[in-house]
Amino acid sequence: MEANLSLVPAIIDKYKAQKKALIAILQEIQETYNYLPEEALRLVSKKLGIPLIDVVSVATFYRAFSLKPKGRHQITVCLGTACHVRGGPKVLEEFERKLGIKAGETTPDKKFTLETVNCLGCCAIGPVVVADGNYHAHMTIRKVSRILKPLSKRE
Amino acid sequence: MNPRKRVKKLRRLSELEDLINKEKEKREKETRPIISISSGTCGRARGSEKLTEAFKKAIRQENLQDKIILKSTGCHGFCEAEPNVIIYPEGIFYQKLAPKNAQEIIQRTILKGEIIDSFLYVDPTNGQKAIREGEISFYRKQRRIVLGANPLIDPLDIYDYFSIGGYSSLLKTLSSLSPEEVIETIKKSGLRGRGGAGFPTGKKWEFARAQKSELKYIICNADEGDPGAYMDRSLLEGNPHRVIEGMIIGAYAIGASEGYIYVRDEYPLAVANVSIALEQARKLGLLGENILGTGFNFDLHIAKGAGAFVCGEETALIASIEGRVGEPRQRPPYPAVKGLWGKPTVINNVETWGNVPIILEKGADWFASIGTNGSKGTKIFSLVGKINNTGLVEVPMGITLREIIFDIGGGIPQSRKFKAVQTGGPSGGCLPEKLIDLPIDYESLTQAGSIMGSGGMIVMDDRTCMVDVARYFLNFLRDESCGKCLSCREGTQRLWEIVTEITKGKGTMDHLALLEELAMAVKDASLCGLGQTAPNPVLSTLRYFRDEYEAHIKYKKCPALVCKDIISSPCHYICPIDQEASTYIALIAQGRFEEAYNVILKDNPLPSVCSRVCHHPCESVCRAGEGGEPIAIRALKRFVIDWAREHNIQPNIPSTEKSRERVAIIGAGPAGLTAGYYLSLRGFQVTIFDSLPQPGGWLIKGIPKHRLPRELLQRDIDNIIKTGIEIRTNATLGRDFSLADLFNQGFKAIFLATGAHRSIKLGIPGEEAEGVIQATELLKKINFGEKVELRGKIAIIGGGNAAIDAARVAIRNENCQKVIILYRRTINEMPAFKEEIESALEEGVEIQFLTAPKRIIVKEGKVIGLECLRMKLGEPDSSGRRRPIPIEGSEFIVDVNMVIPAIGERPDISYLQNVDRIQVTKEETIVVDRESFMTNLPGVFAGGDVVTGPATVVEAMAAGKKAAKTIEEYVSTGKIKMEYKLKRPSIWVEQVKLSEDELEKARRPKLTKISMKLRKSSFKEVEQGLSENQAILEAKRCLRCDLETEEAKMAMRREK
Repeated sequence: MEANLSLVPAIIDKYKAQKKALIAILQEIQETYNYLPEEALRLVSKKLGIPLIDVVSVATFYRAFSLKPKGRHQITVCLGTACHVRGGPKVLEEFERKLGIKAGETTPDKKFTLETVNCLGCCAIGPVVVADGNYHAHMTIRKVSRILKPLSKRE
Repeated sequence: MNPRKRVKKLRRLSELEDLINKEKEKREKETRPIISISSGTCGRARGSEKLTEAFKKAIRQENLQDKIILKSTGCHGFCEAEPNVIIYPEGIFYQKLAPKNAQEIIQRTILKGEIIDSFLYVDPTNGQKAIREGEISFYRKQRRIVLGANPLIDPLDIYDYFSIGGYSSLLKTLSSLSPEEVIETIKKSGLRGRGGAGFPTGKKWEFARAQKSELKYIICNADEGDPGAYMDRSLLEGNPHRVIEGMIIGAYAIGASEGYIYVRDEYPLAVANVSIALEQARKLGLLGENILGTGFNFDLHIAKGAGAFVCGEETALIASIEGRVGEPRQRPPYPAVKGLWGKPTVINNVETWGNVPIILEKGADWFASIGTNGSKGTKIFSLVGKINNTGLVEVPMGITLREIIFDIGGGIPQSRKFKAVQTGGPSGGCLPEKLIDLPIDYESLTQAGSIMGSGGMIVMDDRTCMVDVARYFLNFLRDESCGKCLSCREGTQRLWEIVTEITKGKGTMDHLALLEELAMAVKDASLCGLGQTAPNPVLSTLRYFRDEYEAHIKYKKCPALVCKDIISSPCHYICPIDQEASTYIALIAQGRFEEAYNVILKDNPLPSVCSRVCHHPCESVCRAGEGGEPIAIRALKRFVIDWAREHNIQPNIPSTEKSRERVAIIGAGPAGLTAGYYLSLRGFQVTIFDSLPQPGGWLIKGIPKHRLPRELLQRDIDNIIKTGIEIRTNATLGRDFSLADLFNQGFKAIFLATGAHRSIKLGIPGEEAEGVIQATELLKKINFGEKVELRGKIAIIGGGNAAIDAARVAIRNENCQKVIILYRRTINEMPAFKEEIESALEEGVEIQFLTAPKRIIVKEGKVIGLECLRMKLGEPDSSGRRRPIPIEGSEFIVDVNMVIPAIGERPDISYLQNVDRIQVTKEETIVVDRESFMTNLPGVFAGGDVVTGPATVVEAMAAGKKAAKTIEEYVSTGKIKMEYKLKRPSIWVEQVKLSEDELEKARRPKLTKISMKLRKSSFKEVEQGLSENQAILEAKRCLRCDLETEEAKMAMRREK
């Protein structure tokens, strides 16, 4: 499926196509499309006058960027140290089991993307999971289906 | 809530001064109550926004819009207590609030001035409630000079910041200080970088100031990437103007005209609040051209990180702002000389910038008066992990770890044991308990093998595996290594691989030396801080927790029960006799009961006994019990045992030819019987000697029939004897024969398993009177059908299982009027099994806690009463239980006719008197080699209670089972070589899953009990077993941890 890239030029113009704004531009494209479409990267490369290889190397270096489309619902499990010692990995495993995918993957129906993060800075209330921007504190294995259920009903 | 006034740009210093004074005055004159709602990211995650809405509604309902000020502030620091509010001017602290509480607070506290008890913080260490913020132990030892303003101000309102004197340091700087004077002040204050390395801030500024360049930059490093640290987020969210003010002052000092705040992408709220704050400062003319008419130009921008830990390193951060891949470069030149776009640049961390306005306001001397010689001021730590009071704590440098963890942090949840604290993030290290009194500053932490870092402090208890922690950090670092240096890129990868092997139980002792060598290479050959400090987590855990590495490697054990490829299923792992609970549960779930029976029998010669009286350590570690109810494992075992009996299924005991050497076992209790069973199966000629008339030891003598029906015990014992064991009862070692006799008769090895049957005396006056009988004596007589005269009111002294057994036996006697247990601690410290205590209470036994006997009152040789003392609990003793202390003058008399002491048993090793060569302890237990169970006398082994002191049935059986192995080795080879293997299921059984709905509804079944009438009048077994349906349903509730290992996954794939 080709993404509609009509919004990309406006984003580039907003930053006056400055080379130093590469990361900010990519961040905005990522936010808009949920990933970085290949054509968008080519456009950015052309407009900013940065070789495509450099654009791609930035796009693949930083964790915030994804070259693959993400699911409609985003589940992020924090694996910071505090969450780790309080059982974060078990919560992640439960999500993996329930969704049938590994961390970093998207379900075949493009409904869920499961990711991990190294720390959300909410260490006091860990383990923490963010589902579509909502923070869930003191996560346990049992709470996993409570998070997934309402999301899978929604489109 | 105030409608925002029209903003007018400030054109002169005096205009700022007027504005600050006006806002300060307004705050001083404010008489309305202020409700400050902690609403940082943590607060929001706990529902602070809904709470705020509820407050707004409640205020509207009462029509108090003009009478109350409601503030949604940044984080109050006490994250554990989120969402919380502080009500000023009193400073009342309410915690863990739900939206529905808002109305009550408005009505009762605001309108009537009442304190609402149920919203107050309760100190976990002493149960006391605190009303005000300052009374809470969490806050008491803190010195919140940087974070303290968070609850006072709305971070989105610059005027609120003015009202606490905000921007007056900038005013002072611009109106009366030269850049050099600012730098001098910062230098004099001793401020050091709060981001990790602790470089003196003033010196850094001086370098940058000295550079001749038209363009200079300053940067705020808010890429707080250390997992476990979030003070920068809190400060940016809660008080962004303080950081901005510090940066403007810094820019003025070094002559910078432009600056960046580099914030992590993962902190959306911080980005939002800082953006708003920058906009406000710009509108008021505090940023931009010709600031306040002084000719000083400076503007600030936000640069958002994109999720790369290495960008916390300053040269990588600069690369990232420049729009490039965030790889560090060689230093020097340092950024102060050549930084952003090649220009001199000062980079400081958020907390460092946040300290700057305070130093200028209060003076360098004031600041330098806080802290230690080399480390001045305060440091914010994020106190997280296994700690009661989690949150952000700001403390003077030099405070000890103990003060932070126990006084401020309130200790470890569930009274578990403190093991270590990890400081400094992935570059830091783990400090063990023995360093608990270490004063915290830059130097002391470095010396101890860790670093201050950004201030993450992750507390770990005995359920945290230190090898796993090292593996965790290495995984983080190999992932986050930018890949520029080979040593870091490949080194962290290889370190991770080795440590991972160890966590899987596949490590070797050579690995440890390799880890150390490789760690040093990564340290030496890497360019930036990430690589240079990457080995710290491994090195510090190796330094302080080498025994844990060795446990994983040598014994295939993970003492903290974390490493899942070692643990497999915790129930199986923890079982002293290696019962494959997860396997037989899986078989029950499939209805394959006979197979389940055989799985149980394979590892357990006393299955009926264990199905009744095992203290089931498996259930206490069951993962289903984490946040839920553990699987009823013992009840499931009992179901299988009872099912087999009903279906007349006989255990399949292989007959072996007894062609091997003779082995003597002294004691036919659980340890002796188990050892005998396994030796006999291996072809040894086993003779078990026991001084009692029947085999069974404590099982037959001490455990009452209502818990363990004798026909079940007999069935197990018969099956053991059937393997070809000779039992000699009424035969007492030391009286009828000696160890030497046994060797002379041709026994090649002797296993001493004589238990712990001698009662400990109370040691109080009157103990010899008629009516005093030891619990063990009472139980023995009743169990062997002897007549015991029980009468009237009976006091039982003690809190162990023998005390409860004695009480429940006594209450079944028709002549007994009342049974009362006196225990010197509380129910929480009682060592008896919880379900036994419950049953005793149901049957009418009374328990008086915090009571100790002082004297037995005797008249004409008979007990007529008991004088007791009330106790209170003091500090924990060596057992970890809180020590009972007598309350002076609290004596009182209990009217009783009998006293049954049950304060503990000891082994009776009088039989060793003539064999003085066997080494014993002063507790009169026999000393053995921990692994081989051999005493100092070759060929003489010992195990069970006689070695450990009174313990449990299954632990005694485990000793017998293990000793059987070592005895076999010793007898056949003369040597004992120990081998340890990972515990794995003997067969892979597929999981029968419950649906989501079934799982939600499924509950641990409660065992039914026979009628109370029957209970009180007989020794019939009290608990009844599970039905077939119950058992299957409960078995399906099992999470099947045994299928989570790599091997299991492979095996299950093969089967499919």
